[in-house]
Amino acid sequence: MASVTVDNVRKSYVNFEVLHGIDIEIQDGEFVILVGPSGCGKSTLLRMIAGLEDISSGTVAIGSKVVNNVAPKERDIAMVFQSYALYPHLTVEANMGFSLRLAKAPKSEISRRVKEAAQILGLETLLDRYPRNLSGGQRQRVAMGRAIVRQPQVFLFDEPLSNLDAKLRVQMRSEIKQLHQRLKTTIVYVTHDQIEAMTMADRIVVMRDGYVEQIGSPLELYDRPSNLFVAGFIGSPGMNFIPGTVLDALQPAFRSESGLVLPLPTGIPVTPGQALIVGIRPEHIGVRQGDIEAIVELIEPTGAETQITFRLGGTPVIASVRERFDKHPGEKVLLQMDLSAVHVFDAKTGARLEA
Amino acid sequence: MKTNFFTRLLLWTGLGLLLVWSLGPIYWTLASSVTPTEDFSTRPIHFYPQHFTFDHYARVLGISISRIGGVEVWKQFRAALFNSVVTSVAATVLCVAISALGAYAFTRLRFPGRQMLFGLVVATLAIPAYAVLIPLYQIMIKMHLVDTYVGVALIYVSAYLPLSLWLLRSVFEALPVSLEEAAQLDGAGRLFIFFNIVLPLAGPGLAAAGILTFLGAWGQYLVPLIFSPQVTKPLTVLIPEFVTKNFIDYGLITASGSIAIIIPALVVIFLNRYLVSGLLAGSVK
Repeated sequence: MASVTVDNVRKSYVNFEVLHGIDIEIQDGEFVILVGPSGCGKSTLLRMIAGLEDISSGTVAIGSKVVNNVAPKERDIAMVFQSYALYPHLTVEANMGFSLRLAKAPKSEISRRVKEAAQILGLETLLDRYPRNLSGGQRQRVAMGRAIVRQPQVFLFDEPLSNLDAKLRVQMRSEIKQLHQRLKTTIVYVTHDQIEAMTMADRIVVMRDGYVEQIGSPLELYDRPSNLFVAGFIGSPGMNFIPGTVLDALQPAFRSESGLVLPLPTGIPVTPGQALIVGIRPEHIGVRQGDIEAIVELIEPTGAETQITFRLGGTPVIASVRERFDKHPGEKVLLQMDLSAVHVFDAKTGARLEA
Repeated sequence: MKTNFFTRLLLWTGLGLLLVWSLGPIYWTLASSVTPTEDFSTRPIHFYPQHFTFDHYARVLGISISRIGGVEVWKQFRAALFNSVVTSVAATVLCVAISALGAYAFTRLRFPGRQMLFGLVVATLAIPAYAVLIPLYQIMIKMHLVDTYVGVALIYVSAYLPLSLWLLRSVFEALPVSLEEAAQLDGAGRLFIFFNIVLPLAGPGLAAAGILTFLGAWGQYLVPLIFSPQVTKPLTVLIPEFVTKNFIDYGLITASGSIAIIIPALVVIFLNRYLVSGLLAGSVK
């Protein structure tokens, strides 16, 4: 096991920079997930840690050793690819033992470690099958088995669940988390799915356009997003954003474009007339005994909760409530907002404003 | 898809023409090879043998003795068959081996001028053989390679390499690079990956390249006519020599021609097993 330190790492192709100075400290044994929309550079960063991409500037260290010029095979890492990348002409057993065979480990040792990993992943009965005879979930497990067998310092996962169907993805998610709790090996995991990130990670790194937007635990990111992008990216359904300006009044207040007036939390550094965006999560909007008038647009029951889209002046707003909702589209309702849970962002910079 | 009678008729006619076109000459060769020599001059021509004989095969295979120019036909035939096999097999093995290595380099290694170099090699496909025949002959004379196995095989390699290189590059390009990256992380070196991951998966491509090269080399006439006049003379050059000043030995020509068909047919049947697709199934996705 080892820590991974990414220090001011940049990546550029000819005249085009895709990573602009990334700094991430990953603790020994930590499960860190890099998340962001496609094209944000998360996979490139992972491949740089793996040694499959050159580092244009900055350093990547595994443990205390800078590995910029160390070949992938000498970095003591194992990677699980999005496409699984199983060797199609080798059996499951040979796939899993491939790296040990290359390292000239004794046969008994290879077979012992392959059996061990197979047992962890429930692959014992599939060892002499070929990848083509396995289901998607089984292939995914073999790909993980191949990584486990090596007992590396660091596991790298590159969107490992994106080829699986929804149900299997949920199942594998908990399996990977359990695996981490059991092996306690450092994991760097890339995904574009924020739910995967929220459910599995010790810490999440949110990336966009080659920059790190925020690093923190899942709930830190959820409760205190440092900017509009993170606020909108984390959480499903996403945070509601209401654009408006600061009212020129003694008590700081917010007036939305549609005329809704909300008090602002005290102590926030705002100036009258400043353009703001107020964010509120769907679960902080209630549908009983409120004082904010809105029109029902769409009702989406999921069973456990109901997601309702309202029109609040000109802005669509989504509420997520646990109680049953008996209104119909077009009807008026009075909403109530939990003002202690409101997030305030500067409309120009997108940065979070706090006392 | 529903097809009406007229469409079906058209398709079957096309298929029929194609069959006659490609199988007709082969039938004619086989039929002639079992026709007695006297029957070749009878008129009208019959489309199937009126009498049946294995006499021509007996002469070709040395069961009965027959001489042309004082040398037994059987011995000439045996030597030419051997030469054809040796030069074609050598050319095929060399060509596939070299083009596999080259195509892999063109696919995965980044070096300056990569695209242009590849373009140049493939562009040589457009150069007709007769354009380079005379300079090539001078080179071969100087290197003492005329009428040697090495010389002829090398010419075949240079002739079929570009096609094979082209074909294998597209085969390698279609292989998922993540497999090679996985192997790299597992601790494998470039050559290990090439021989243990890439080549087994490129089986169908290698078989196709092998078939193309072998058939091409086997059927060559112009090149061996010039570069293999005596010792390394192959079947394609020997068989027309059964036409002498006074007598065209149709029986001998067609019997040896029929035997000459067997070898490439066997090669194709053997390599065809590797042409199956779906080798990658289960590897990615």
